[in-house]
Amino acid sequence: MLDHDVILTMKGIEIQFPGVKALDGVDFELRRGEVHALLGENGAGKSTLIKCLTGVNKMDAGTIMLEGREIRPTNPQNAMDLGISTVFQEINLCENLSVAENIFIGRQPMKRGQIDWKEINRRSAELLERFHVHIDVTRPLSQFSTAIQQMVSIARAVDVDAKVLILDEPTSSLDNDEVQRLFDVMRDLRAQGMGIIFITHFLDQVFEMSDRMTVLRNGHLVGVFNAGEITKLELVSTMIGKDLDEIFDLKRAEQKADAGQMLKADHIGVPGKVEDISFSQKKGELLGFAGLLGSGRTETAEMIFGVTRMQNGTLVIDGREVKINEPMDAINNKIAFCPEDRKRDGIIGDLSIRENIYLALQARRGMLHPMSRKEQDALADKFIKMLAIATPDADKKIRELSGGNQQKVILARWMATEPDLLILDEPTRGIDVGAKAEIQRLMLEMCQNGMSIIFISSELDEIIRCSNRIIVMRDGKKAGELNGEGCTQADIMQMIAGEKAGETA
Amino acid sequence: MSSVDKKRSNKLVNFITNPKYLMVLATIGIFCAIYLVGAVLYGDKGFTKLRTFAMLFVDNAYIGISAVGMTMVLITGGIDLSVAAVASLTGMFIAYGTTVLHIDPVVCMAFSILVGVLLGLGMGALVTYLKIPPFVATLTGMFFARGVCSLISRDSISIDNELIDAMAGWKVYFMTLKDGEWVKIKPVAYINLNVVLFIVMIIIGTIILQKTRFGRNVYAIGGNEQSARLMGLPVDRTKMMVYGFNGFCSALAGIAYALYVKSGWNLALQGGELDVISAAVIGGVLLSGGVGYMIGTFFGVLLKAVIPSLITFNGTLSSWWGKIITGALVLLFVALQQFVMTGSGRKKKSTKQK
Amino acid sequence: MKSRESIFKNKLTWAVIAELAILIVAGILEPNFFSIEFNAETGMLYGSLIDIVNRSAEITIIAMGMTMVIALGGTDISVGALVAVAGAFALKFLRWDVTQYPTPGDYSVMPFILVIIVPMIICTLMGLFNGVLIGKFKLQPIIATLILMVAGRGIAQIATNGKQFTTGYTPYRFIGQGSFLGLPFPIIITIVVCAAVMIFVRKTAFGTFVESVGINPNASRVTGLKSDRIIMIVYTLTGFLSGIAGLIYSSRISSCDSNNAGVNYEMDAILAVVLGGTSMTGGKFSLTGTIIGSLIIRTITTLVYYFGITSESIMAFKAVIILIVIVIQSEPVGKMLATRQARKREAGELRG
Repeated sequence: MLDHDVILTMKGIEIQFPGVKALDGVDFELRRGEVHALLGENGAGKSTLIKCLTGVNKMDAGTIMLEGREIRPTNPQNAMDLGISTVFQEINLCENLSVAENIFIGRQPMKRGQIDWKEINRRSAELLERFHVHIDVTRPLSQFSTAIQQMVSIARAVDVDAKVLILDEPTSSLDNDEVQRLFDVMRDLRAQGMGIIFITHFLDQVFEMSDRMTVLRNGHLVGVFNAGEITKLELVSTMIGKDLDEIFDLKRAEQKADAGQMLKADHIGVPGKVEDISFSQKKGELLGFAGLLGSGRTETAEMIFGVTRMQNGTLVIDGREVKINEPMDAINNKIAFCPEDRKRDGIIGDLSIRENIYLALQARRGMLHPMSRKEQDALADKFIKMLAIATPDADKKIRELSGGNQQKVILARWMATEPDLLILDEPTRGIDVGAKAEIQRLMLEMCQNGMSIIFISSELDEIIRCSNRIIVMRDGKKAGELNGEGCTQADIMQMIAGEKAGETA
Repeated sequence: MSSVDKKRSNKLVNFITNPKYLMVLATIGIFCAIYLVGAVLYGDKGFTKLRTFAMLFVDNAYIGISAVGMTMVLITGGIDLSVAAVASLTGMFIAYGTTVLHIDPVVCMAFSILVGVLLGLGMGALVTYLKIPPFVATLTGMFFARGVCSLISRDSISIDNELIDAMAGWKVYFMTLKDGEWVKIKPVAYINLNVVLFIVMIIIGTIILQKTRFGRNVYAIGGNEQSARLMGLPVDRTKMMVYGFNGFCSALAGIAYALYVKSGWNLALQGGELDVISAAVIGGVLLSGGVGYMIGTFFGVLLKAVIPSLITFNGTLSSWWGKIITGALVLLFVALQQFVMTGSGRKKKSTKQK
Repeated sequence: MKSRESIFKNKLTWAVIAELAILIVAGILEPNFFSIEFNAETGMLYGSLIDIVNRSAEITIIAMGMTMVIALGGTDISVGALVAVAGAFALKFLRWDVTQYPTPGDYSVMPFILVIIVPMIICTLMGLFNGVLIGKFKLQPIIATLILMVAGRGIAQIATNGKQFTTGYTPYRFIGQGSFLGLPFPIIITIVVCAAVMIFVRKTAFGTFVESVGINPNASRVTGLKSDRIIMIVYTLTGFLSGIAGLIYSSRISSCDSNNAGVNYEMDAILAVVLGGTSMTGGKFSLTGTIIGSLIIRTITTLVYYFGITSESIMAFKAVIILIVIVIQSEPVGKMLATRQARKREAGELRG
């Protein structure tokens, strides 16, 4: 490659946070017309590097060169003016504004000193056509799905005359079709000579899209690889710096043949969300739920736990028919639920680890039967040790922990209630590979000890590796059931896709 | 041809069902309904006369002027509890300045507006840079303004100044052509300087909010401040300007009030901030920010004004019912907002893209 | 090292220091500020300190509820109106109809128990109304309570036909003017109420539940907490406490004044909570801090009286004090102080 193809160079970047060196002498190089994946575990420094490039964080040392000139972005707007455009992981748009306005706000075309609304609406509609999104752009953004919102935020980012486009986990809320459409757009932009930095947890997407990969670990640069020079397993081991066999040497929990029935769902549903779901689960069984995002996996779990009220069908738990109207009812029936959105539905940020752990148990005991401080401490210490939660003491705020450790605290909260049935909704999403393996091992251990687990995940290999049986969901209905043993990813995908083909015929 | 018609009617349906406009339409609808009720019940007593309608404006113009600034603050997701106190302070400045110190009223007014803007900017700085909840920051401003007002004088001072008298006395009468001659209609109906100020401010407010980047930034901040920041919008500057503008509106409202009652008093407009806020809420401005229109606020002020007017025409009801009905109206509108907002939220989940 | 840090991080410590500082200033300016005398005739203790505690009773009692309202991330601006409502109904029951009983005197038309209970029930129900709007219908607290703030005074006015009733009924006047064990009776009520609320909150899990819901209502619901019920309890409690405060207030002045009773009480109560170290954004709260906060407000008021400044102008001084406190408590300033401390520590470590 010739030197003039390099569009962006970052050299010797150092960022010091109180107590830790977030980045230590990291180099990064982006060429014109390439998709460059930035990889690493959580806390490896990817986000920090991006924030440094977009002017959110100030760097303590190092230089950034854009097209041969040194730059020092001071804020996102400044970075944008320089030609660095970013799509952040969380959708950063205003739901109260129209779709069109979201794309153009801050740089509206003006006519005679006034905002030219016609032009805004026309150009937005055109722009979204490129993504095959056909919607009324004058409607408020809040009326559209997360996927469309994500598309709109990408449209906003690419419409500015950018030289460098940063995509931070853009696919986490998209389904397969939408991911493909995004990839088409990315290919277009690449062909036009834009340099794209692509951050994602999905390794398949990394291998599908990227030309090169830069791997970070603990704030250090580990290596830069060309696509095709490295296998997936090698890449993972570079990212986590651990032996692979140790991580993936997990055995499915053995299912006892004479185990009693734990749960039987009979045609349960909430009209408009999920309908007509029937399945049963034995004691000590790990039941996987697979399916695309929005296929009804989470909705089913929320229904069993009473987060949304079940309207049709019956639920039999441990041989008794039960009525579950709210989470408390489920907890009283020894069900526990780790929700998908950890930040929104899981952690109580400003409370300590101890309080976060004892909360569910206390809720079940009722307000008038408080646990003594001694009991709380004992409980917290027990789980911190058992789950190897990395913290100096139990009184640290949960907010200050890493994602993986937060997930462990939530898990501890529910294990403390000693449930018979544990529902885990995407327990491994957004946490690093090491913590992921630990959580999987823990699930299998609990099953071995007789707990039943419902395990929801987007990652098929994870589901196949852990589940005794797998239920496949599609469009708010149950698409089918598979045995965990001997099931392949292709089987599951066929079940999703095959049904789809049958319907259109 | 028909396809054009269809397109047009589609547009109309879109317009009406768009939750953004629904609240404003509801306000206008309820105002018309209440006005009609009044017309049917008290038409014979003169409720439908132009005079009654014009007096709605004359008696409430100062609330409306302040509501223009408040609307903008509410759209950013903030709130300002200091408006009535600042207006009362302005009235005190003018009364004390002209009548006791014999300073030129123009200087007094300019000084009041300067103080209003500075107070607004000060509170804006607390909110913007020190991240103090607007409720607390403006509460401080309210205490401060009321306190300073009492320090100046504890007694009501009536204004004795020619220019102020002239401004307060300026009226435009509604005329009618009778026997080839323009005569005042009967009963006499007029609008005054305050009403003109009110309407001009509503127009200026509308232009700012709908036609300038600054105005759109105000909406964006109210929708999601974090996002607005990451989209590169000048959040801090915008918020400062909004609070500054609101300070300006409060001072202007104070001037209007001084013209209306021709006196300054430290306890004037006690609880007036609630009148202003409830007028905006009744006008469809969302307290959580991001939604609201000046025209909605305009009708909110009128709707709030027409209730005491109705009670006066009734003659037997205690005037305190006015407060209770206003409370009930606020409840109605908040409930409506809740319904519209969650309604559109529910829609969001089902409109999965195909 | 750790304990020293946590003492200075603790906002309660700052509140105590502030109160002591103001008292010292008062002591310097007015040497007999701390003197307390016993008046054998009335059987009551007199002195500025007693007066401060006595006069802060209404705000302290309301602020107990307000603390948890704010911990839930809400506000209740209807408390002042509820104070007026309680007074209006109590006086209504004492006189019933002023045209029938034209002269105020030492009598009550209704049984005394009703005079006390009915206003409290009405205020509790109004609190419940707030709670239902906020807990069940998820309205914004400031707007939900705005409704009663506007309508409450109207209701109070209608109860008394817009007239100001006065009374000379001794048992009723005892509530605000009597004494028990040498202390003004409002102090006794405050102690009992504060103790009861603190036991209810801290000896059960209620306090933690309130904090949890205040920090993350969604997660709290999924964890099995009945958020809406907790919200309703807190607002109902605040309504009830406002009722008690209203009775004390109207008993103090032996009359009801629907226009002026409890004006700005919501502001003072919120101020007491914030001064006591509970953040306006919700979450962790401190009832002890709130009591001190309420005392600070009253101490300042008393101190300012010594300067011969009128009661309305006190607001300007209050504003300056709040300004200082909220600036110190604000996030950016806190961060700045924290980094400076950290730097100092680092420097110290290097040297050591």
